Amino acid sequence: MQHLDPDRLVLLSLAEEVADDHESAHLAGCATCREELRTLEHVAELGAESADMRELPPPPESVWAGIQAEVARATAPAAPARRRLRRTPAGDRRRWLAPVLAAAAAAVLGIAGTAVVMRGPDQPPAADVTARATLAPLPSAPPDARGDVRVLADDEVVVDVQNLPLTTGFHEVWLIDPDDTTKMLSLGNLPARPEAVLPVPPGTDLNRYRLVDVSDEAHDGDAAHSGKSLLRGTLTY
Amino acid sequence: MGPGEELAERFRDGDEKALRTAYERHGSAVLVLGVRLLGNRADAEDVTQATFVAAWMGRETFDPERGSLLGWLLGIARRKAVDRLRSAARDERITDTVRSQPVPTTAADSPERVVDRLVIADELNRLPSEQRRTLELAFFDDLTHPQIAAVTGLPLGTVKSHIRRGMANLRRRWEVDGAASGPRSAGPSLAR
Repeated sequence: MQHLDPDRLVLLSLAEEVADDHESAHLAGCATCREELRTLEHVAELGAESADMRELPPPPESVWAGIQAEVARATAPAAPARRRLRRTPAGDRRRWLAPVLAAAAAAVLGIAGTAVVMRGPDQPPAADVTARATLAPLPSAPPDARGDVRVLADDEVVVDVQNLPLTTGFHEVWLIDPDDTTKMLSLGNLPARPEAVLPVPPGTDLNRYRLVDVSDEAHDGDAAHSGKSLLRGTLTY
Repeated sequence: MGPGEELAERFRDGDEKALRTAYERHGSAVLVLGVRLLGNRADAEDVTQATFVAAWMGRETFDPERGSLLGWLLGIARRKAVDRLRSAARDERITDTVRSQPVPTTAADSPERVVDRLVIADELNRLPSEQRRTLELAFFDDLTHPQIAAVTGLPLGTVKSHIRRGMANLRRRWEVDGAASGPRSAGPSLAR
């Protein structure tokens, strides 16, 4: 018995033509051709259903930033301890705490001083600064808001901001690729003190992600940038 | 070697640019599968992230001989989504909270069907342009072969051969990468 012509089966599967008597009889008796037709029909159905799977919107950039950060974390050697603020000897802690709390309160009021005030004389010398940025206010921020960013040789970024507006949420620091501003990664949140030390994810290309951005973020569970940038500045070496 | 195979090789070899390319090419498909399986976008985004991280960490277990990179990624995403549903169900029993969205379970929206559609859509996008165009007119616009010939200006015989070859390509891809395709390369234990 000769099987049905493969081209005919394709036509039948697309419901382009109806099987004639001879073909129907053959299909009734031939499991091979029946299975072949069934498979083609299924593929044609899937083809028709695939219409809404063709122009899919890309995931938000925060997903890619998360992938990059996790991959970098997993591939980097164990990071050195990053507890700069706890280097003060324990005995000094209490004496040290009051001005910090005062400074934190001041930061909330938007009139923070700089970190230099807080540093005890017995602090170890700061690591070498490899890059700097001066942050200037965007129109959404008060004109006297400003900031200073130092990248240290040990892959930390010291962010020192002043006169940021009050927020019901929090302030977040980002590194953005100025050539494609959809590409960004989060360095972390600014604590309520004037100076923050944030680790740079290992493997971050600071020549590419050289635009530093401080944003106002809401506690809305959305990890993506809110779009409300307050300060910006470009790293220079 | 087609562009898909070349990407798969580079991915396997640990080229980080290939990770980005794979994400740009397939991230949206993984996200869509996550949304269909989990019923909400935030969880689907988490699963998308987890899928690419797991795929990258387990890239040495990816076997291009056994299926495409997309098929492998969708396999990982399915397991990630299922794990998440299980743990959500566990949390639900413990805390008696209600999950935000029911999970779609109709046959038309079954995970297998969604995977199949994504694979077919991907293959359709990869077909030579005339083959793709004729199939699109047949599938989406429901045109007959003579109508397709009239619309495209191609001879009827050419239309028929494009359709035949295109269908054969879709079918081959579906048999390799579709959700029902037997034991597949989607199973690195690392990538869970």
